[in-house]
Amino acid sequence: MTALAAAAGPATLEDLIAAYLSGLWKKPVAVENLARIPGGASRQTYRFDAVMGAERRGLILRRDPVDSLIDTDRRIEYLAYQSFHPLGVPTPEPLVLDEDGGVLERPFFLMSRIDGGAAASPFTVDAYAPHAAEIGRQFFSILGTIAAADPAPLPISRAARAPMADACWSTELDHWEQELDKDELHPNPIGRAAIRRLRRHPPPPAQKLSVVHGDYRSGNFMHDGQGRILAILDWEMAHIGDPLEDLAWAIDPLWSHFDPTRVSGLLPRAEAIALWEASSGLTVDPAALQWWELFNSFKGLVIWISAARSFRDGGGVDPVLGFTGLYCTRRHDQILAEKLEALLEAAA
Amino acid sequence: MTPTISEALVGNFMTLMEPPPPESAGEFMAGKIGVVGLISLLAAEEAEKGAAVRFAENRAMRTLFSEAAAGGWTPALTARLKELARGEDQDLTISGLDRANAELRHALIALQTAVEAAPGAASLARQRRIVRLLREGADARRLDLPPMPAR
Repeated sequence: MTALAAAAGPATLEDLIAAYLSGLWKKPVAVENLARIPGGASRQTYRFDAVMGAERRGLILRRDPVDSLIDTDRRIEYLAYQSFHPLGVPTPEPLVLDEDGGVLERPFFLMSRIDGGAAASPFTVDAYAPHAAEIGRQFFSILGTIAAADPAPLPISRAARAPMADACWSTELDHWEQELDKDELHPNPIGRAAIRRLRRHPPPPAQKLSVVHGDYRSGNFMHDGQGRILAILDWEMAHIGDPLEDLAWAIDPLWSHFDPTRVSGLLPRAEAIALWEASSGLTVDPAALQWWELFNSFKGLVIWISAARSFRDGGGVDPVLGFTGLYCTRRHDQILAEKLEALLEAAA
Repeated sequence: MTPTISEALVGNFMTLMEPPPPESAGEFMAGKIGVVGLISLLAAEEAEKGAAVRFAENRAMRTLFSEAAAGGWTPALTARLKELARGEDQDLTISGLDRANAELRHALIALQTAVEAAPGAASLARQRRIVRLLREGADARRLDLPPMPAR
């Protein structure tokens, strides 16, 4: 529907987008095939075609939700795409950010659409067969490329604060502890034990500051089904920090697709780390990585506890919040307890 | 706390009752219905074992408190541990067991914090005992998904 037609009746989302793009590009734009798609739990995601005469562009709209799995800054997400798309990291091209958002009721941004691929659910088995190793090599090499980039000249530095190298860990731990304090509905002794352990045994300072994707894992990238990664998605938790944070999140057991022999369901752990080291030019300190692994299991636990809170407060109408609040909370409780027990047994 | 069985199932009902706008009726709604199905499966597991798991966890914490009460803690913590160790679950509904569980978990956090602050081999042994209890509790509460192939 065109902007002109929209004026004749109640405005649908399709109408609103068409009117917005017509104003932005200063020519009539029709919106076709608008459909909400799953994914990116902190924003509503829609795909559509913008049609201008004979020209057709596939686009993605990311709009703030009324409530979400995690509260994130859409500007940082947008700037993360702006930072890495020109560097050759496979990402959609960011097109426009509207932080006022009045025209679509809530803040939003638009980006180009990448067709011909799919993102796997992290709760499926053998999700990448028969291309797991090939995808795994790209997955960990791309993460190393992100880690290698100097964040200072990148657009994301306009919005993301850079911590001191020796404060990356405490900045993150403080943040997620505050989230736990805010959203905990039932006392969680495993999470509390993890916080105390992490504070008693801090990691060394970050060897460099990097852009941390914040949710770099199986399920947050598109692949073409033939062994090629098409796009790294869901940068809504991006920040500047210790690059080991992303590596540790990517290899968390929750994302293993129930395969204890392959991290992210893709590659043996040692091979994944070696690829990351080669691509980033950095060296993994095992003790530091161990700290970030424990931290990330704690961070995951808090995300799911917050999801359970949002599910309850929102009247239970978002099943993704309910599922993650139920299933993932229990799994990360277990993963975290196993890690704490292993650390104590090693000390004994 | 994870969503209770009743919250999860009421949520499923609300999700299916809410008519989606046209742009959310296709792939997005299909995905939503899939997640509603998964929640129903998890709720069935939780309905089967939820009360027993909570009852066992509460009993394990009371046993631990009974053993640990004489550890030389502050008078307030010692008194709290002794009092809680004498308790027993009377209300066997999941919500009733959760109320008792919350009180016991608060005391467990206080005990574990005190144990970690104490030096020596005895402290390490107590830490291991507590963390084993936590891990066993987490194992018991775990919910499993059926093996789902990627689409």
